[in-house]
Amino acid sequence: MLELITENLPLLLDGLILTVEVTLFGIFAGLALGTLLAIGDMHGGKVVSTLIRLYVEFFRGSPLLVQLFISQYALPTLTNIPINPYITGFSVFALNSAAYQKGYIKGAMETVFEDQMMAGLSTGMSKWQTIRHVILPQTLRIMIPAWSNEFCSLTKSTAALGLIGFLDLTGAGKTIAGQTYRVLETWIVIAIIYLIWITVFTKIADIVYEKKKIPGIEISV
Amino acid sequence: MANVMECRHLWKTYKQHIVAVKDVSMQIGKGEIKLIFGPSGSGKSTFLRCMAMLTLPDKGDIFLGDECLTKPGVDLNKARARIGFVFQHICLFRHLTALGNVELALRRVLKFPKEVARERALQALREVKMEEWAHHYPAQLSGGQQQRVGIARALARNPDIILLDEPTSALDPELIGEVIDTLRDLATKGATMLIVSHEMPFAREVADEMIFYDEGKIVETGPPEHFFKNPHSERARKFLTRLIKKTQREQNA
Repeated sequence: MLELITENLPLLLDGLILTVEVTLFGIFAGLALGTLLAIGDMHGGKVVSTLIRLYVEFFRGSPLLVQLFISQYALPTLTNIPINPYITGFSVFALNSAAYQKGYIKGAMETVFEDQMMAGLSTGMSKWQTIRHVILPQTLRIMIPAWSNEFCSLTKSTAALGLIGFLDLTGAGKTIAGQTYRVLETWIVIAIIYLIWITVFTKIADIVYEKKKIPGIEISV
Repeated sequence: MANVMECRHLWKTYKQHIVAVKDVSMQIGKGEIKLIFGPSGSGKSTFLRCMAMLTLPDKGDIFLGDECLTKPGVDLNKARARIGFVFQHICLFRHLTALGNVELALRRVLKFPKEVARERALQALREVKMEEWAHHYPAQLSGGQQQRVGIARALARNPDIILLDEPTSALDPELIGEVIDTLRDLATKGATMLIVSHEMPFAREVADEMIFYDEGKIVETGPPEHFFKNPHSERARKFLTRLIKKTQREQNA
């Protein structure tokens, strides 16, 4: 099995790096966008909030693979502009994850919101200052565990990227299995690489959660 | 005497039918301490929040010094920075230490440099005798200690007036004393305060005027002695009798 890894190291590494890049981009861009969506849903008024809900329903209510196909194959038939599969991969993952993370963020925000907002305003801070200095620091701490779950499912969804012509880790596995005919070993190796990457990242998230933990602010969602 | 704060014909209705503030007018002068009391659910908290523009009144005017806060276009954040507010449920920022709670608005609202804000915040904590707890988080403090931090947060900005919404009613009985002591200190230093409270011995000691508030209205006002000896309204008399009995029971217990 070791020689299978060493012989195909470049391919495996390329696949892993792409998978890691897409996941990291998706999870962080999704966090930023999800935060804006959560705030927009809570404070943006009726129209904005309805649009945000439609957006979230679309991305949560359809398979990621279908979203990838729409972006990669369906949209270009409308616009006549071919889309680079990398652009599709990165953006669909960010948009999809934002839809899920918006829910986590909003839930966490609502648990801290009312009295903390009133307290912030009473000291002379504006609504935005209070969101930035009071609401978000508490919200983000509370949601780290949910966020780390989202990371796991996002990583696993990257296996779908191969179907739009993206050479991710699963794609690399398919190529290697096809070339070497060592199907069992190849897929075991691929599974172990996923497992290691997910374990490392969630461990880091656990450490950050413990380090940033403040007495009195724990998971309540 | 110039009024520090004043409201004229203030109204606030919740959901069309529950009138929490019904045509209320009052003034408070510099260094005055006024104490509002009355049955729960009568709208006292709503009235106090309206005064701080934390809940916006439907009708009527509020003045902070010469400035009308109910005019459109007023910078309410700026106005609120001149008003200290202490909450019944304390409402400290839970992710910040005692010091961080007091410091935040000094840094973000008054834009003090870091060292100046820290010095001022520590001084405010000293005034409520919480300096040695400066680096503790709210969850690590008792209710009474938390409320003293809440008071420090309100007074650190040197506000024109401090509004206190039942500052002791959410506390265990044995913790009420320390908060009352803190308020008594503030009173002797000449702070202008509008307090909602049912601590009658405290009221008798420090209040310049007591206000009996019921069903969204000021029913009766007068110095403490007036209320303790001979309140005019039947409602105030009944309410006070019950309250004094309760206080006596607690003191005997």
